[in-house]
This record gives sequence, C-alpha cells and structure tokens, in this order.
Amino acid sequence: MNASESPPIAAPASAAGAGRLRLFDREAPLGYALVLPAVLYLLLFIAYPFLMSIGMSFTDAQAGNRRWTFVGPVNYSKVESYEIRANDFVLASGLTESAARTMAREKGDARIVTEPAAAEYRAILDVGGRRIPLLQLPKEDDAAFLGGTIAGDLDWRVDRESGGTYRLVAHASDAPVTVGSFPNRAALERERKEALLIPARTEIRTNGKGVLQDPNFRLALKNTFQYTFGTEAIKLLLGVPCALLLHRRFGGRRLLRGLIVIPWVIPIALSAQGWLWILDSTYSVINWCLVHWGILSPGRIINFRGDKNWAMLSVIAVNVWRGFPFTTIVILAGLTAIPDEILERARLDGANALQRFVHVISPMIRPILLVSLLFSVIFSFTDFNTIWIITKGGPYDQTQVLSTYAYQIGVNAGYLGKGAAISLFMFPLTAVMVFFMLRFLRREA
Amino acid sequence: MADVVLDGVEKRFGDVCAVAGIDLAIKDQEFLILVGPSGCGKTTTLRMIAGLEEVTSGDIRIGGRSITHLPPRDRDIAMVFQSYALYPHMNVARNLSFSLRLRRTRKEEIERRVAEVAAILGLTEHLHRKPRQLSGGQRQRVAVGAALCRQAGVLLFDEPLSNLDAKLRVHMRTELKRLHQKVKSTMIYVTHDQVEAMTMGDRIVIMNAGRICQIGTPVEVYDRPATRFVGGFIGSPPMNFFDGEIAGNGREPSVRLAGDLVLPLSRADLGDSPGRRVVLGIRPEHISAAPSGRPLSDLAWAAVGHPARVPVVIEVVEPLGHRAVITARSPAGSFQMETEIHAGLRPHEAVDLWFDMNRAYLFDPETERAI
Repeated sequence: MNASESPPIAAPASAAGAGRLRLFDREAPLGYALVLPAVLYLLLFIAYPFLMSIGMSFTDAQAGNRRWTFVGPVNYSKVESYEIRANDFVLASGLTESAARTMAREKGDARIVTEPAAAEYRAILDVGGRRIPLLQLPKEDDAAFLGGTIAGDLDWRVDRESGGTYRLVAHASDAPVTVGSFPNRAALERERKEALLIPARTEIRTNGKGVLQDPNFRLALKNTFQYTFGTEAIKLLLGVPCALLLHRRFGGRRLLRGLIVIPWVIPIALSAQGWLWILDSTYSVINWCLVHWGILSPGRIINFRGDKNWAMLSVIAVNVWRGFPFTTIVILAGLTAIPDEILERARLDGANALQRFVHVISPMIRPILLVSLLFSVIFSFTDFNTIWIITKGGPYDQTQVLSTYAYQIGVNAGYLGKGAAISLFMFPLTAVMVFFMLRFLRREA
Repeated sequence: MADVVLDGVEKRFGDVCAVAGIDLAIKDQEFLILVGPSGCGKTTTLRMIAGLEEVTSGDIRIGGRSITHLPPRDRDIAMVFQSYALYPHMNVARNLSFSLRLRRTRKEEIERRVAEVAAILGLTEHLHRKPRQLSGGQRQRVAVGAALCRQAGVLLFDEPLSNLDAKLRVHMRTELKRLHQKVKSTMIYVTHDQVEAMTMGDRIVIMNAGRICQIGTPVEVYDRPATRFVGGFIGSPPMNFFDGEIAGNGREPSVRLAGDLVLPLSRADLGDSPGRRVVLGIRPEHISAAPSGRPLSDLAWAAVGHPARVPVVIEVVEPLGHRAVITARSPAGSFQMETEIHAGLRPHEAVDLWFDMNRAYLFDPETERAI
C-alpha cells in the first residue's frame, strides 16, 4: 500500500465541498422518490375524496344533476317547524282505586265540550259529571279534535301512584298526540305552556330537511353504537378465553391457531353468502336444528333477517364471527409477550389461576388489548359490508347504520349532498373515540 | 428451622434425564451455592425445590416436612428470578407486597414489612416508582425485596446477578452476602459463575450432567477437587491438564508426559503402579517463571515448593493489570500460567517455567476422579 494514495472512502466526502455528487449517489432524492407513491396515494385516494365529500355536503348535489350550488349547512341541520308530541295525559290523580276504575269505565260516556277562553278555545272533558280542562287552542276545531282523540282514541289506564293513591292516564300506544306545527322555538314554548292544561309527558319534535332533523338518521346513529359496542363486547368475551386456550400447550395447537383466523381472512362477500343461507327465512339450518331437536315448533321458526328483534342480533353475530379471530390473535400475542418467569413468580407469591388472570395477566395485556379494541371499534363503526350483505339495513331500518344509511340516501336515493353529510358525521365520532382510547393507552404505558 | 433435604431427587423430561438422583442436605440459615455449566441441572434442581417443576422421583423436605407434592405457595419458600420477574404494572411498594396482599395479611403488617425491607435494600425513596423507571441494580433489589417480604424460611436465587454489568455484579455480591448475615433464612443460590460461587457461598455444590460432583466449602473445592471436572471448573484461568503416565520407582515417583517430559512427583503413595495412565492437573497460579539461562531468585524459589522445570516457548501474553496470563507451548502441549505483569516474558521467547509439584493434582483418565 502506497502512503501517497488517498483511501477511496475519503474521496466523496472531500469532493462534496467542491462539486455536487451525481444524482444517484445522493440519498435524499432517493428517499423522496420512494415516498412519492405513498404521498400520491394519500392525496388521490384519501385526501381528495375526503375534502370532496366535505365540499359536497354543503351543496344541493343530486345524482343526475350537473349543477351543484352552495346551500350552506342545510344538509346537516335545517329546521322548518316544531311540534309538541304529548303522551300519558294524567286525567285525574289522587283517587282511590275504585274511583279510578269507575272513571275508566265511564270512558264510553265521556264527552268533549269546547268553550271560548281568552280569544282561544278550550277543550273540556266531561266524564261522570267531572269537568277536566284538557287543551286550549286558537281554533275550535283543533281543540275539539285533539280533545276527542284523548277522550276516545287513547287507552285509559289506571296507574298506582307512589302515595298509594291511583290515577287515570290516557296513553297512546302507537303514536303520540301531536300539537303544532310551530314556525319557531318561541311560538312552541308559548304554546307548550298554554296549550296543555293537564299534566302529560311531552317531547319536542323538530321537523326539517337536515340530517339532524331526520329520525331515521337518529335511528341509524343508535344502531351504529348498538352494533359497534355489542360486537366489541362479545368479541372480547369470546376472544379472551379463546386466546387463553390457544396459549396453553396441547397437540394440534398450531393447526388450531391457523384455523381460527379463517373467518377473518376470507372475504366477507363470500362468507356472508354462507351466513345468508344460515339465516335464511325458510331454509335456515339453525331453525332446522332447533325444530329437529324439538326446541322450536315448525310454525314458530325464527325469521333472523326479517324480525326486528333478531335482525340486529344476526348482523352482530356475523360481525363477531368475522372479527373475533383478530381479537384472539392480538390477545394471544399479548399473552405470549408475558414472560414465563412473571407467571411463575405469581404462582410462588401464592396467586391461584383466577388471581393470576386478574392481577397479573389482564393488566399486562391491557395495552395491547386497547390497541386491538381501537382498531376493531373503528372497523365495526364504519362497517358497511356485513350489514349490506345480510340485511341491507332492514327490516324497517332496524339494522340501518350510518354507513348503509349514507349509501341509501347518497347513492340509492341520489341525494349526494345529504349522503356526504351523513357519512361525515362518522368522522368526529371516530375521532373522539380514538382520542379517548389513545389518551387512556398513553396513561397505561 | 428451615433445613432443606433432597433425597434421591430425580427429574426426567421424557427420555432426557436433567437431574439424576441427587442427595443433598442444606443446613438451616446456610448460604449454599449450586454451580455448574449450563445444562448441568442446577436450575432444574432449584425449580423442583420451588415447586415449579414436578419431581420425577425422590423426596424434598423443608424443616422435616415433605413438600414434594405441595403447591409452590405452601412451601415456605421465596424465589428471586434471573429476569427479576417484577410486575411491570405495579409500583415498587405493590411489587414488594403482592404476596402478602394475596395472603390477606393485615394492612399495618404489610406496611411495616414493606418499610423494613425497603430500608434494608435502600428502596425507600423509590417505593412509588414503576419498575421501568428503575435502573438494573434497583430492579434487582426490588426482586430480592419481594422475596424478603414473604419472610420465608428458604430463599431461592436463580442466577440473580447475571443480567447486571460487571461492576454492579461485584457490588451486589457483597450486598447479598451482607443480607444473608442480616436475614435469618436459608439461601440456595444458583449460578454458572464460579467466582460468584467461591466468593458468596458457605458451601458450594458443583454439578455436572445432572449429578453432584462435589460438595464443600470454597477452600475445600479449590484445594481438593474431587474430580477433573471440579478442578477445571473452579479457578480462573482454568487448571491445565496433561495426559501422562506414572514413572520412576516407589521412592522417587514421577510422571512422564508427552514429549518425554518427566516431572518428579511429591507423593509417596504411587510408586507401586508404574505405567499407570494419569492426568496431571496444575493451576496457572502454581506455575512460576524464570527467564532462560538465569537462575530463579530466592523469592521465586520460596513460592515454588517443589519445583519441576518445564522448557517452553511463550506464545501469548495477556496483561490483566497486576497480573498477566501467559500461554506457553511445552513439549507436553500448550498451557496457561499466571504471573506478575513485570516478569519480562515476551512472545516467541524460549524460557524455562517451574511447576509447583506440591500443588499438582493427579486424576484417573477413566473415572476422572482425583488420585
């Protein structure tokens, strides 16, 4: 080795000051080039649709309509009128049981009389010689009609009061009595104070075109929470014991660990076809088994997708079946990460199996459990596939969730702006959930 | 009384015999070390005492009571694990008191014991920290403290110092020894480190291949190794071994090594077996140097009781500071010696070295037992 030769490694470093390196020898441009596809993807497929739907939710965009005009937040909230919805009118209270029952029996003879009162009309119930003022409305017809509804159409019920006395209540079993509509809140409040003369359970209904005024949206929101948290609770209840089981050493453990992820890895579009058959209204295997074992009579088979009580349970069951392998695998990973020595020490410290689980295992897997919960809550909250394939939101919107409702309104009905507004409601909700979970997670760690 | 007796204890994993029937009596309040290379069965033995492994056959008794089939929590034992096994989600105080809380000990009693143990181990100001906020040495002390809190009759240690850095390990060695003098518990301590074994134990049990090779005080196992394995295991750098055979006559016995190197023996009980194959063992610290051509100084002569000259060529010199380890090649094979750093030996130099034959050991090549 000749001492005058400069070592080859040093050459680029000394040359860097004098002249620029060749493009392909520099590292920074390569880094940007490698990141570029991901950035483009995020911009094109995440950022652009997201911003687009925000913009669209403020327009009157409709399918087939080329011109979108800015309409402000009407898709979110646009109040047109208010109504008072009243129910459970207390006709009389503080009665003895026999007096209340006598009055209830006299319902057939009850009459409504109207008489003018301070430029308005008052409906008075005349039952068994008793005069009970019910309503006071500007128009005589309205007063007579609503009074007649309470007197004749509603069921009269005798309720026991807390003091041992009895009262007579007029109860609407299907739809409450509606008073209104009122153009604004002030008119509503004035009427609420003055119109109803007897105690009743009232609520205010807001009518309008916006999503917030849409009762179906509220139902979808309630269903979404029911679906998400029902699913997650069952997933945890199933996932923890499954993970504990798969953590034990036994023959075929590896095989079982592989098999358990199958529901999660096969496309839901395929597996849901199986579920459609399992939950079929006529050919359901569950019904067949129940009938075959003599648990159900053939005439009373369960309509899993058509019965409003069973439909939500059915979609939750499918989502649990699909999602619990993920929970199990994540918990299993958490269990595997617990060093054997810690569990051995717990045994030496005198902890039995339950105490080991409560005091050692569950606190140690809690962080990873929370991460898995975070993921699967978001997946369930935004889940579209399962519900769309199994029930399409039915029956009567009983399984309608935000994602399917947004699709119904935005795509099927063509109200793109309103559909965008519905789907955007999921964003702040998931953001809040993520925020709290991450904060909890950080406090744990 | 927490004396521990192992009676023919055996452990098999399928066809593999991990512990092959050991008998051991550990006195109350003794500090006993189980030492051996990895896989020798020392940890398995400890885990059987702890109740973490089933005993295949044999009996274990603590304080005269058979505990072989009792669950770990009923055995009057506490254990310190190699990885400390602290509960990461509990602070130090709760880590210390976990076993007491499971036993529903009274609250004041728990607080008293935690405070006492924390004071002994210098953990008082860390009681509210989580394990991950502690240094390795502090975690180690918490692990020891958690075992102490139990006030068990027997404390088991499974290589508790092996995750510490060298300096801290030396410090904790002293700490544990001091602790043993303070705490009236029997301690059984597993290590693979012969230095730990020598410095800490009242008695040392040297194990190999699932069997006990020798039980004795540190001085006994150093001075009178029962087998070739013990000789090679205890001491650092390890003992040198040479194959050879007995030569000479009854009055002046000697051993002939390879390369026709004949060294006189200082023992009179071997003369009637000339030609017997033996293994000569000599520790590096029992070999002295004198540069070639120069006689040994008086001082060096005094150190070597029964010197035998061995001509060598120096191969490697490894200075340690106050001493140096020298690898030398003799006609009988390469060996190591320890000498003063200023002995002036240089690689490739041909010198004479002197074996102290008073301190040499003979082993049987078949049974490996000391002769």
